[in-house]
Amino acid sequence: MKTFVIALITVFSILTCSSVEAAQANPRTMKFPVLSFQIPAAERVVLECGMPVYLLRDTELPIINMTAMVRVGSVYEPAAKAGLASMTGALLRFGGAGGMASEKMDDELEFMASAVESSIGGDMGTVSLTTLKKNFSRTLQIFSDVLLHPDFDQKRIDITRRQIIEGLRRQNDDPKEIAGRELGKAIYAGHPLGSEATFDTVSRVVRRDMVEFHGRYFRPENMILAISGDFERAPLIRELNEVFGGPVENGAVVLPEIPQPPQQFKQELIFAKKEVTQTVIRMGHLGLTKDNPDIYAVRILDYILGGSFTSRLTMEVRTNQGLAYNVASHFDIGRRFTGTFVAETETKTESTVKAIQLMQEIMRGMTKEMVSDQELNAARDYMINSFMFGFTSPASIVTQRARLEYYGYPADFLETYRERIAGVKKEDVLAAAKKYLKPDLFKLVVVGDAAKFDKPLSTLGSVRELDLTLNIPR
Amino acid sequence: MKPLWLTALCIVIFSGALHAATLEEKVVEHTLKNGMKLLLVERHTSPTVSAWIRFRVGSVDERSDERGIAHLLEHMLFKGTTTLGTRDYAAEKPLLEKIEATALELMSEKAKREKGDKVKLSELEKRLASLEADASKYVIKDEFFEIYSKNGGTGYNAFTSRDGTTYLISLPSNKLELWAAIESDRLQNAVLREFYTERSVVMEERRRSYEADPESKLWETLVASSFLTHPYGQPTIGWMSDIENLTRTKAEQFFRSYYAPNNAIVAIVGDIDTKAVIAMADRYFGGIKPGKALPPVSAEEPKQAGERRIELIADAEPTVIMGFHKPAILAEDDYVFDVITMILGNSRTSRFYKELVIKKQIATDVGVFDAPGSRFPNLLVFSANPRTPHTVSELESAILAELERLKVEPVAERDLQRILNKLEYEEARRMGTNGGLARNLTEYEAVAGSWRYMTDYRRKVEKVTAADIQRVAREYFTRENRVVGFITKKGGDSK
Repeated sequence: MKTFVIALITVFSILTCSSVEAAQANPRTMKFPVLSFQIPAAERVVLECGMPVYLLRDTELPIINMTAMVRVGSVYEPAAKAGLASMTGALLRFGGAGGMASEKMDDELEFMASAVESSIGGDMGTVSLTTLKKNFSRTLQIFSDVLLHPDFDQKRIDITRRQIIEGLRRQNDDPKEIAGRELGKAIYAGHPLGSEATFDTVSRVVRRDMVEFHGRYFRPENMILAISGDFERAPLIRELNEVFGGPVENGAVVLPEIPQPPQQFKQELIFAKKEVTQTVIRMGHLGLTKDNPDIYAVRILDYILGGSFTSRLTMEVRTNQGLAYNVASHFDIGRRFTGTFVAETETKTESTVKAIQLMQEIMRGMTKEMVSDQELNAARDYMINSFMFGFTSPASIVTQRARLEYYGYPADFLETYRERIAGVKKEDVLAAAKKYLKPDLFKLVVVGDAAKFDKPLSTLGSVRELDLTLNIPR
Repeated sequence: MKPLWLTALCIVIFSGALHAATLEEKVVEHTLKNGMKLLLVERHTSPTVSAWIRFRVGSVDERSDERGIAHLLEHMLFKGTTTLGTRDYAAEKPLLEKIEATALELMSEKAKREKGDKVKLSELEKRLASLEADASKYVIKDEFFEIYSKNGGTGYNAFTSRDGTTYLISLPSNKLELWAAIESDRLQNAVLREFYTERSVVMEERRRSYEADPESKLWETLVASSFLTHPYGQPTIGWMSDIENLTRTKAEQFFRSYYAPNNAIVAIVGDIDTKAVIAMADRYFGGIKPGKALPPVSAEEPKQAGERRIELIADAEPTVIMGFHKPAILAEDDYVFDVITMILGNSRTSRFYKELVIKKQIATDVGVFDAPGSRFPNLLVFSANPRTPHTVSELESAILAELERLKVEPVAERDLQRILNKLEYEEARRMGTNGGLARNLTEYEAVAGSWRYMTDYRRKVEKVTAADIQRVAREYFTRENRVVGFITKKGGDSK
């Protein structure tokens, strides 16, 4: 941290000097003092139980934040019990822990103005804590109970299940939610990431399932901690060792093998009817994972195509033609599993097909010709110069470090990121577009009022209409 | 390290050692001669800085024929200046004038509706499109964005509310001068080019944010029904026909009337040297002439004299929103309402959560907030989804029962203490990000008259007693002061 502070001082001094010059500079040609930015490091220690911990002390605020990342995820739940992981994630905190009833835990935590929260996503589980420094020890105790000793109170399980069912009942209220969900299902069809909780699957989940699911994955040898804020290092490590105990006998948790989603690209047109004045449009297909060396070229491609306010999609669909407020595209680079490419917009009913065709045309364009020097430079400059915004708070610095280890990124990922971005050439962007962008093989989801579309959707191919009432609990 | 830096270094380390300085100690306040207010905070956690400019003008300041202009103008102010966003302003300018003349003619023909001349309309539309195409040859699209981005700027954005309009960006700290150069140019030389295309974008924004989303549509209708006289009732984005009738002429007029340095509050938070920033701000903004003082909003909402009920029939599950009129920020009772908000909602120990979500399981969640602005008397709002098979009317009764309980049963001392503990944590937390702190400084300086609202807040809340809560509940949570909105599912019954 100290070298970091020193680097900053140079900036002030130069800034002060340059302000003596009285002129107002031209934004197009302005020159700036050099800013030496070093990626802030977090300390990695290993607890007696073998758990890695990333630490970054920062005393600006009298607050401590902590996150445990657990190797677990909905990909490990049986399809017939889809919803098990997210229910387990919610109930860690919601269902009481360490013999303390949930109401009592709520009362104690909120009286201290502390928070402990838990959840399980597709390929990661997290339990997090935030607290004033003075209440850290007690909050840590509750945190560790939630993480390791949840009680899964039956009443709370029932409430959670009813809430999820009510959510399912409401899942078609917002057209944007319908389109996003259906696109995800279409892209990941046949893979656990494409499975969906339904009334039936959620109804099948019982307490024993959650106890087992938790017991299998939530073990000290299967998690990483990230801690930041106003702590004292030695007492903190002592406390953590007391909470998490000594060396673990049983060795590493063996995670089930989950295959990658099948690399199948086939156009599919999906329509859902909603009587609205604006159509929701989502299109996409499988993308790539972080282990692919092309991710840097794809990042540049992403920025130029639909990742910024001056991207091709925004420029044409929004700025030039006024067809949409929101238009964007994004390669979500998969960390464990193949990620996605998704393009999205919403446009008035009468310009639905026009907007779809325009977007597809813009995307085809990316696969045909090289981007311009100006586009390439703008993308590279942004990514390199804004890199430091990934490190603006101690909490984001430690959780980022922990996440990189969790997903097994190369050790020099952050340190080499800017160089690799700087090394991307126009040829690389074109090659990446040709390889990873398939505008004629999209899964396309359209939600709207087809009777008022500018052209029938069937102009684009054969359409499968969804029955939105199918998965609605009676 | 060279000795030159050493003094500065010592200062930084020393101030770092001053444990957890309060906000009061951290904010440097400075007003330029033209009235522009600067609020500066040094934070050296990362070499970044957030710069926010708040103009004391929002949709509440619009006349009835300008509804939506504050927001559309906010969009337009991203389009450049006489030197940025254009290849040749001298050549572009006459085209922009022709575009405006044609658009005005087109709109007045459209206003005749069925009596309008169809041939003339189509000719005007063609001429407008062709002029726009000609003008676009001179445009450098979104050049502000392009320049900020290539310099590493992130979060370049703006938002308009009833109460005000804010422009924000975060930059690497060595590039703050870029912000001063662009923003001072924008304030003096903005050119509202591409106006009519952007107006279409805003119509899409309206469809997306309000028309296609039943809950937002209900919300918009409820607010409009709550304020018959006061402009808080009108949606900031404007009704669709309002937007259709906005012109560049109106937007320019609005810009000239309100965007003056004396109506601006700037917060710069991050890795800065406050003295250098004051000098820089003076250099770039100091020469701008102050504008006229803002005319006050004269409309006053008459006291509501009976419950108002709004039903929206929609292709969506039932929901209920309930609002009660209440005073503006700074009124003594407003602090009592804040305590009531925290007693009733937004936490796992709140009454709505414990009673309605956990015990009765009648709702999936209950939100409590005040809206649609703070400068003027507003609403305390409860928003909830009933859990099937429970109905809107059961949920409504359950909410009202909790309000009755506030009137008769004094709130426990422990509940009040929990709120104060929460505020202690929040006071620390909100200093943790440049953007968050800049947001709060500009917002409270604008709506509460001073950012010190934040530093006084806990002391004010400390004074709120259980008896105050009972008094306020009795006075405001009445049938005649209530507005209720609910969604009935299409084909379902109104229950």
